[in-house]
Amino acid sequence: MSTTTVHKTKWWSGGKSPFNLEYGKVMMWYFLMSDTFTFGAFLISYGSIRFSQNTWVDHNVVFSAFPGAGHANLPLAFVSVMTFILIISSVTMVLAVHAGHKGNKQGVIKWLLWTILGGVAFLSCQAWEWHHLITGEHAVLVNGQIDLIGQTMGANPWGNIVHDQAALTSALANTPHETLVHLVHSQDHSHSINQLAAMSDTQLRGMVDFAEIHVREKGPIAFGGYFFGITGFHGFHVFSGVVINIIMVIMTKKDVFKKRGHYLMIEKAGLYWHFVDLVWVFVFLCFYLI
Amino acid sequence: MQHPAFEEVTVQHEQQDDAAFNKKIRKTTILLSVITVIELALGLAIYTIHKGPDPNATLILAFKGMICILTLAKAYYIVSVFMHLGDEIRNMIMTIVVPLLLFIWFIIAFIYDGHSYKELRNEFDKHFQETTTPVQHQPAEKPQSPVGGKE
Amino acid sequence: MSEAMNIHPGTTAAVAVHHDGHGHHQSFISKYIFSQDHKTISKQFLITGIIWAMIGGLFSVLFRLQLGFPDQSFPILETFFGHWAKGGHIQPEFYYALITMHGTILVFFVLTAGMSGTFANFLIPLQVGARDMASPFLNMLSYWFFFLASIIMLTSLFISTGPAAGGWTIYPPLSALGEASAGSIHGMDYWIISMAMFIVSSLLGGINYITTILNMRTRGMSMTRMPLTMWALLFTAILGVLSFPVLLSGVLLLFFDRNLGTSFYLSDIVVNGQILPNEGGSAILFQHLFWFLGHPEVYIIILPAMGIVSEILSVNSRKPIFGYMAMVGSLFAITILAFLVWAHHMFVTGLNPFLGSVFVLLTLLIAVPSAIKVFNWLTTIWRGNIRFTPATLFSIGFVSLFISGGLTGIFVGNSTIDIHIHDTMFIVAHFHIVMGVAAFFGMFSGLYHWFPKMFGRYMNNTLGYIHFWVTIVGAYLIFWPMHYQGLAGMPRRYLDKSGWASFNQFTELDKMITIVTIIVFAVQLMFVFNFFYSIFKGRKVNKLNPWGATTLEWTTPIRPGHGNWEGEIPEVHRWAYDYGKDGRDFIPQTEKIGENESKH
Repeated sequence: MSTTTVHKTKWWSGGKSPFNLEYGKVMMWYFLMSDTFTFGAFLISYGSIRFSQNTWVDHNVVFSAFPGAGHANLPLAFVSVMTFILIISSVTMVLAVHAGHKGNKQGVIKWLLWTILGGVAFLSCQAWEWHHLITGEHAVLVNGQIDLIGQTMGANPWGNIVHDQAALTSALANTPHETLVHLVHSQDHSHSINQLAAMSDTQLRGMVDFAEIHVREKGPIAFGGYFFGITGFHGFHVFSGVVINIIMVIMTKKDVFKKRGHYLMIEKAGLYWHFVDLVWVFVFLCFYLI
Repeated sequence: MQHPAFEEVTVQHEQQDDAAFNKKIRKTTILLSVITVIELALGLAIYTIHKGPDPNATLILAFKGMICILTLAKAYYIVSVFMHLGDEIRNMIMTIVVPLLLFIWFIIAFIYDGHSYKELRNEFDKHFQETTTPVQHQPAEKPQSPVGGKE
Repeated sequence: MSEAMNIHPGTTAAVAVHHDGHGHHQSFISKYIFSQDHKTISKQFLITGIIWAMIGGLFSVLFRLQLGFPDQSFPILETFFGHWAKGGHIQPEFYYALITMHGTILVFFVLTAGMSGTFANFLIPLQVGARDMASPFLNMLSYWFFFLASIIMLTSLFISTGPAAGGWTIYPPLSALGEASAGSIHGMDYWIISMAMFIVSSLLGGINYITTILNMRTRGMSMTRMPLTMWALLFTAILGVLSFPVLLSGVLLLFFDRNLGTSFYLSDIVVNGQILPNEGGSAILFQHLFWFLGHPEVYIIILPAMGIVSEILSVNSRKPIFGYMAMVGSLFAITILAFLVWAHHMFVTGLNPFLGSVFVLLTLLIAVPSAIKVFNWLTTIWRGNIRFTPATLFSIGFVSLFISGGLTGIFVGNSTIDIHIHDTMFIVAHFHIVMGVAAFFGMFSGLYHWFPKMFGRYMNNTLGYIHFWVTIVGAYLIFWPMHYQGLAGMPRRYLDKSGWASFNQFTELDKMITIVTIIVFAVQLMFVFNFFYSIFKGRKVNKLNPWGATTLEWTTPIRPGHGNWEGEIPEVHRWAYDYGKDGRDFIPQTEKIGENESKH
């Protein structure tokens, strides 16, 4: 076959695919196209809301943690790990598809298993990140007192930093003992929670250093909804991709494709997996980079 | 004959030999990684500029624009090499690319109206403006641009 | 080398060609319930659609009773609906539920799924020359997701707090807050879940339709030889596949707002003196997302009707369609423009005026392809040898309604005028004529025309003529006066307008509209009777090609089995509109082009 045959063929004349593709792959592409619009709508809505606010959270402050690194400020570190996991799993998927072209059953299984591992690793990272955000304790000035809240769908602790020292001092005076203990603990690790709990409120208030602890206003609540909504929807896609890949492994093991004479189903699963990777590129862009 | 079940496929897809294929994939992987690293570097640069005493909104905007372009480049390589769209015939490429053009107006209109909604509220809802506009540590020199510096 | 691999669908034996191999002994369930035959699936869509149309139509009769006779008591309503119609008066919550479900049912369940589902499924494989859809299995799933969506929506009609009642456009905060109305407590969740199922169904269907039309055409069936129905259904499917996902995103976010305390669409809301914690969202964003689907949606409704009408007018005036390429081009232009104009539904939301002016410009551009289509229909029947079958009459009726409703579209597409008449009866009149009734006319037309192919029998013509004349006169009597009401400022969706002295002039008119509505609804019931009666007792079809049409579906047996053609799939040699050519009444698409044949 040479390129000239491709050019000479009357693709649209009927009796053949104008795309030179079997129907299943064309359908997969159109499904991905429609899914692009689903994700597009989510991300564009996020953009629209962000542009309608005077202030937005600083993603470098929100996503600055790394598992096992404690309170170290490492913006972009963890998400780059997640990004590389997905890129590498995309590469192993390409290799699985290529093995399928060759009819190499063992190769397909091997590379699919690596892909599944990548997907599971990504999902675990996401689970850690969500957990870290939801259970985090961040000092926020609410109704004249300081509160410790995490990033949930109904609350956002990432508003503007409060610079008004007078307001902070009076807020500190209204803040209950329990909150003070945790507030001091987040900055001062030399005392245990129990030791701090035994101290008096006045002592604790003296230990709070507003140069260390940034007390913020409440941030735009919509942020949490979008972050959890979109990364959750993407995570759901990763999850379903992992499930599809597991099914593919089982079918390959059972020689379904061998009997069929071709491994085109792996290609369709591969298209879906790459699409998941593709979406992450844009989620990464919208939530973590700009 | 690799596709006995599908009569609609006219021309056999070309079989790539392993060496060329592996080279192509290795090249793309490295390219994607390098782009990602550059993106991260730009992201950190933005972070540093933010932390600085006088964030330069234009510079940040320029960096963000570069990141967007790099992201599109990444998307291009994923779709064209990993999803093999680049190996398909022109008809297939067009049927995927052309509908994506709808996103241009989709994005412009949504973002434009979101921005306009903010302007409207700032003008007619002073409470909204006062409570949500960030208080500058240093005296503010100019109003914040929509994408520009936060905090 | 490529020649050797050029195996065509037609060359393989009929049974062997199938991806999943049917055609063996089929049980009742696999033949009529979980059938993968596109013809059976189309009938399933059709009958489900008819049931929904009757429910939706009945709802309109009920709320028209309220609008025509706001002070009168109808004890029978209380018998049927209990406390929803206390004392024989339709209660406000009931009224809002009725109009909401009327819109939802007719727009989505009847005119989208019912019409596209029926005609795309039935016609696409038959007219492009394929044994079935690209993926018969996904096609079956498409119907069953629609069925599931129907069941959920139907269930919501019977829950104690009633179905969704925030209008078919389900704008938040009315739809997002349970406190807002009875229907928002639970009915709205049912609505969203049902709609998610519906979107899955329409995606599965749409992807299948596109792939079948592009990939599975028979030999010789190039794109420009396809009947216009195929083009119309292709563009309809493209519209659906690209726009429904956006509604899916929109309603998912709404679902989160309702149930998970997020703030996508909510901000600064005070209920009973309590400030809600929601902050940062924008209700207008939902309108953007909704109408990004919503506007293509109206073309999803009208394009199949346009295709059907083009085909039927040409067949029944025994003339080739006028301006085939212009027709295709204007369908394409409408498809593109459909995605660019959504915010013309939102001129009064505080939309940026500059952005609004761009939307006005793009909206008014739609008048161009629409006008081209209208002129082409008129020139197609001009001096034709017209057979006035019920199908032809409904097609001509479609053109009439499309002109009447389309002209007011130029009014409402202008933001300056729209700001005055937004949310008035003028809008109701506009979209009911141009997209509601007109699309129904296209559907009726198609049913009368293809009924012989679907069931091997004819529908009763006399009942068909009565159906047409009462419906078209009734449609104009109902909706024409609403333009005047709207220009006088009468708002839509109001339960009772008797409190405004300025609307008292319309009291008698409203009564007339209501009475006509009841008559028209009764005639639709007569059509449904005709439909079901004719399936079993209609006059039998005894020739392959009763209408003398050129297209491929009439080359199949009178009652085609699964696989459509008994032998090979015929090869196509010419376009679909060789009527009255070289002294011949018509030349089928399968006939080779003669040596001395003139060019069309």
